[in-house]
Amino acid sequence: MRALAAELAKLASLPAAWVAAATGVLVPSAVAAMTARGGPVPGGEDIGYQELAFGVLGAIVLGVVAISSEYVTESAESGGGRQITTSLTAVPSRTRFLLAKMGAVAIGGALLAVVAAAATMGVVQAGAQTPPLGAGDVPRLAGVVCYWALTALLAFGVTVLTRHGVVPLALFIVNTSVVSVTYLLTKITLLANYLPDMAGVRMFIRRLPDNDVEIAPLTAGLVMAAWVAALLVVATVVFTRRDA
Amino acid sequence: MTAARALAAELSKLLSLPATWLTIAGTLAANLLLAVAFAQAALRGTAATRDVVDVGLASIGYAQAGFVVLGVLAACSEYIGGQIRTTLAAMPHRARQLAAKHLATAIVALPAAALTAFCGVALTALVLGDTPATFGPILGVTGYLLLTTLIGVAAGALARRTLVAVAVLLGYFFVAGPLLRDNLDLAKYLPDTAGAAMWFPAGGALTPAQGALVLTAWTAALIAVALAGHHRRDA
Repeated sequence: MRALAAELAKLASLPAAWVAAATGVLVPSAVAAMTARGGPVPGGEDIGYQELAFGVLGAIVLGVVAISSEYVTESAESGGGRQITTSLTAVPSRTRFLLAKMGAVAIGGALLAVVAAAATMGVVQAGAQTPPLGAGDVPRLAGVVCYWALTALLAFGVTVLTRHGVVPLALFIVNTSVVSVTYLLTKITLLANYLPDMAGVRMFIRRLPDNDVEIAPLTAGLVMAAWVAALLVVATVVFTRRDA
Repeated sequence: MTAARALAAELSKLLSLPATWLTIAGTLAANLLLAVAFAQAALRGTAATRDVVDVGLASIGYAQAGFVVLGVLAACSEYIGGQIRTTLAAMPHRARQLAAKHLATAIVALPAAALTAFCGVALTALVLGDTPATFGPILGVTGYLLLTTLIGVAAGALARRTLVAVAVLLGYFFVAGPLLRDNLDLAKYLPDTAGAAMWFPAGGALTPAQGALVLTAWTAALIAVALAGHHRRDA
């Protein structure tokens, strides 16, 4: 528990984490405001959710900086040290350290999702001509929270392997774009629908453009969770066996 | 130090960074893979177009990320471990130093951009078994990628941290930009949409020449801000 508290404190003290949080809340709510103002749109049942699928950008940055910040070398004047050496001195069990880190990232991603979803849905509801939120939206909003937490863990797992943030950050942000690389891959093989992000969004998106593959929300969540679990196992094995 | 020697020094630093070569090679490889993917999609008739140049350049929308990273790395590598102090001791004229860095990065990025654009189209032509009708868009893409790289250098010089600059720029180019494009009329004057007009004409957008002009203006303005910041701030 103290390791988790330490990781949460470290995460909350990173300026980049707060920039990520601001991006994750402002991007979807601002875009939702613009969309809602434009009047009824095709795919109106997905309004708000569509924007939250892009806002996951904030969770990605959070997951990446949580671990890449450990490997940043301080300037020579401050001793040229890295946070990771201090962290592993305090928590010598690598597995426990990484588990605490995952806990902090998942909590951070989920909290961010709750705030972002509340802001985005608030903006959407304030606009005229949008259907009011009902009981059917509860599981979808829970899906958003799961999607953000799992995506943060996915970005975190890749960054544990690369130990530097640029490559995972570039890959994940590029794939958050409106027409993502994985979406392109679904045009070539239907199996691409089971890639983590393509499956994950079906936890809360009802209709993907030009895509007839149906995956039930629960299955979608399990598929994404399986990807994340597999990646985190690999990351943990590599992390415990490698020099820090 | 004369301007020519400043340029030579910046070029030497840039070319000796493994990250420069890794980024260029990674971008080229990713672009080729994506080009094959787009060509396959076109063969299956699921894409909107089957024109060789349009299909071959579709992957540039993603590959531009590599050029943004290249520009940011060129600028931010100075701030890893204090290289900037050596650099400024050797080149006390700050504006000249940063201008030389922009020029050196452009010299590296131009052939890389041309190669990336050309190889993507060539591979697509091979897969589709068709020949390109026009080469204009390839020139447009080369210019676009070059200017995007320079935006990366300027943003990197301002942010001084690789991750921050990469996150902000890619967040803009891949998430905020496309969303604004769909929702805001004035967005056609923003750098990403204006730049895209240089090679992918869309309805109601700017002409390629206008797009190039607007993107050049944005790039020049950002470089000017970076030069002013570099001149006035602590190193």
